[in-house]
Amino acid sequence: MLSVTVNGEEQDAPEAGRNLLSFLRFDLGLTGSKYGCGEGLCGACTVLVDGQPLRACMATVGSVVGGSITTIEGLAQDGDLHPVQQAFIDESAMQCGYCIPGFIMTAAGLLGRDASPSSAQIREALAENMCRCGTYMRIQRAVERASGQLGGSA
Amino acid sequence: MIEQAKNGGGLIIVGEVAMGFPPPRTSYARAAYGNTEPNTQSATWLRIGQDGSVTAYAGKVEYGQGIRSGLAMEVADELRLPLDAVEVVLGDTDRTPWDMGTFGSQSTARAGLQLRKAAATAREALLELAADHLDLPVADLTCANGQVASVQDSGHSVTYGDLLSEKTIERDLVEDIELTPESKFTVMGTDALRIDAIDQVTGKATYSQDIIVENMLYAAVLRRPSVDAKLLDLDTTAAEHMPGVQQVVRDNHLIAVLAETDEQAERSSATLQAQWEEQEDRSSQLDLPELLKKSGGDPFTVQEAGSLEEGFREADELLEATYYIPYVSTVPMEPRAAVARWDGDKLTVWAGTQRPFGLRTELAGRFEIDESNVRVIAPEIGGGFGSKSLYPTAHEAARLARVAGRPVRVAHTRGEEMQWGTVRPAALIEVKSGFKSDGTLVAWQFDAYHATNERPFIGRRGSDTPYTTPHVKVTTYSSQSPLRVGSYRSLGGAVNHFAREVHMDEIAEATGIDPVELRLRNLREPRFRRVLESAADAFGWEAKQPPSKRGVGVAIGLDVGSYIATCVELGVQGAEVRVERVTAALDCGLTVNPEGAKNQTEGGIVMGMGTALYEAVDFQAGTVLTAGFARYRVPRINNAPQIETVLVGDPETPSTGAGEPGIVPIAAAISNAVFDLTGKRQRELPIQRHLR
Ligand code: FES
Ligand code: FES
Repeated sequence: MLSVTVNGEEQDAPEAGRNLLSFLRFDLGLTGSKYGCGEGLCGACTVLVDGQPLRACMATVGSVVGGSITTIEGLAQDGDLHPVQQAFIDESAMQCGYCIPGFIMTAAGLLGRDASPSSAQIREALAENMCRCGTYMRIQRAVERASGQLGGSA
Repeated sequence: MIEQAKNGGGLIIVGEVAMGFPPPRTSYARAAYGNTEPNTQSATWLRIGQDGSVTAYAGKVEYGQGIRSGLAMEVADELRLPLDAVEVVLGDTDRTPWDMGTFGSQSTARAGLQLRKAAATAREALLELAADHLDLPVADLTCANGQVASVQDSGHSVTYGDLLSEKTIERDLVEDIELTPESKFTVMGTDALRIDAIDQVTGKATYSQDIIVENMLYAAVLRRPSVDAKLLDLDTTAAEHMPGVQQVVRDNHLIAVLAETDEQAERSSATLQAQWEEQEDRSSQLDLPELLKKSGGDPFTVQEAGSLEEGFREADELLEATYYIPYVSTVPMEPRAAVARWDGDKLTVWAGTQRPFGLRTELAGRFEIDESNVRVIAPEIGGGFGSKSLYPTAHEAARLARVAGRPVRVAHTRGEEMQWGTVRPAALIEVKSGFKSDGTLVAWQFDAYHATNERPFIGRRGSDTPYTTPHVKVTTYSSQSPLRVGSYRSLGGAVNHFAREVHMDEIAEATGIDPVELRLRNLREPRFRRVLESAADAFGWEAKQPPSKRGVGVAIGLDVGSYIATCVELGVQGAEVRVERVTAALDCGLTVNPEGAKNQTEGGIVMGMGTALYEAVDFQAGTVLTAGFARYRVPRINNAPQIETVLVGDPETPSTGAGEPGIVPIAAAISNAVFDLTGKRQRELPIQRHLR
């Protein structure tokens, strides 16, 4: 039996070829990672693997064995929201919210690499994520706010 | 009577709900419910539990407009509570009052007023209870922060929970109860954060796509290759023997593989051998403009005054132009999904529909069961924009679950959503105007051909001109649509505004008058003048003769009773124009939730920017060629402008919608700005396709 680490817990995986997004959502019930396109084009399914953003819809379980997966459900630590999560709340960066987990995970990945990216770098990192509700300006502000905080504490 | 809400006792406010009340302005609802017999039902609107917890019930749904927070704000103010003390239950046919559906932007206004009355009724009841408890007259009592206290001595008080402990009291909602005046609002009108924000950022918010019930089967539905294709032959043998397949269902035209996992269903459905007969019709998007004009029937006069002939004679100058708006795809981020479960003769369906009660009626009719045996639960909706009024996946799930004897999930892939979801009707609009050399309009002829098939009313929305014109005739026609059309944000409104507001700009060009000034010269309605002046002012609009090469554009709009004016500024980015900055002034009357109204306006602007610059549905022989993000471009964060929204509504004017106005003038404002920048008029969308 294969096993993978999801949000710090070892999980048995049914088969190496199982789609990672389906595995997370339907086998583990971690439905915070969303299905938006299944083609790697919208970012709604983004999770972190060893801190790096990954499109779960384009990956198999087998490809992440040995890695540590974080989903939106596992981003808050000991009940404390990740600064990116808090910043999305503070900027009201959401409407329907369907895209939001993907944006937050992508942004958390970016800030993990670089605690104070420029506005242009933020835009570039988030350009593969899609928000049909059009909350982009707020998302941009939220990530800038979070980066300010992370940068400040670093 | 809806019982569930009463469990646990406390103070329960019950009110009559008119089922099928006067149809709203939005056309879809009118079509769906215009003929419904008025009928009333009694339902629970509000409950204050024995522990003092407050729950409000509304049959509306949340698709991102922030209605849950908006309604909570109204209840919180009437009950003198902080916002986070109010829970709002939405869109569940077993728990919430009947509702016609969440369309347009009228949701907050209608349901909110009812909840305010319910909450005010509850407050009165609490005061009476406290009068007994504290042995003081009601006049000496006041409510604040979940307590009733003596006006003289605020320490002499009792909490709502203590007043209600171990009690069950039912009160009728008082229709003419006195509501809290605006001056006393502490929550409404403030920039409160959304009450559901925490669920959204932690992944707890649950959408239809996320519903998993015990013993559920995953379906993969066989879809036709094109709209009218007919199935000639089907071989299911291979699919039936694939791992995990429970069965292949064939129920009339519905054919689906049911399996234990999503991937098993998908893989086996790929082995279905189907032969189709395709229709002869080979029309494509290239034939559409001609088809719209040729097939236009059912002329409807929206506006008529004076005599066009006379008007054109009086005019110093005449101008004629044709505008074309192709189909666009709605593209909610969440493709439709539904789960259905039968418990004997009882059906439960989870579906992110904008009309849970309408869907209940449809399902009861389909299965010939009583409506009380059908429960529709609308979870969070990952974007609707009107399109999720229709929810065929719910019907499919219910049919399949019936056959399978187990719960079934039907979820659209992105491709299915864009192939089989509806599109906004395309339109061809001809405008002929006559005006004086000082820009004063004397004649206005507007003929709009909308691809609306059997729903002609779609094309009428927003087709009338607000500019004072002595001789005017506005006619809409219903044209054939090769693709299935449906609702969309502001629907015909944004389309008609595009033609009208670009044409007004052409008059500004012809007369050499600044576009803001030209509009003001022809506008009498004070609310229109105010939004236009406010937008121009906040934007820093400088009057110049167009084209000024600055890349600035303006347009105005009226939709769902709200007035808006929008100014944009463009830049150039490689071979593309980029919208750098947008300023919108919105008058939606009393704004309960300013932050929500701004957020919605921004969303409408970004969505409308997509229709202006990038979006068009291409099709051939009834097949959508742009069914996926690889071929259908929508705005991304690197295209998004800086948006400033100024709210100029008068608090004394009743609330009107904020969800739709944003999209209404933006495409025209962008087209006008492209002209201002390049000197080239853009009468066809999407503009980026026509720029070199
Ligand atoms: S669902 Fe994975 S990128 Fe869209
Ligand atoms: S908030 Fe709805 S798609 Fe982004």
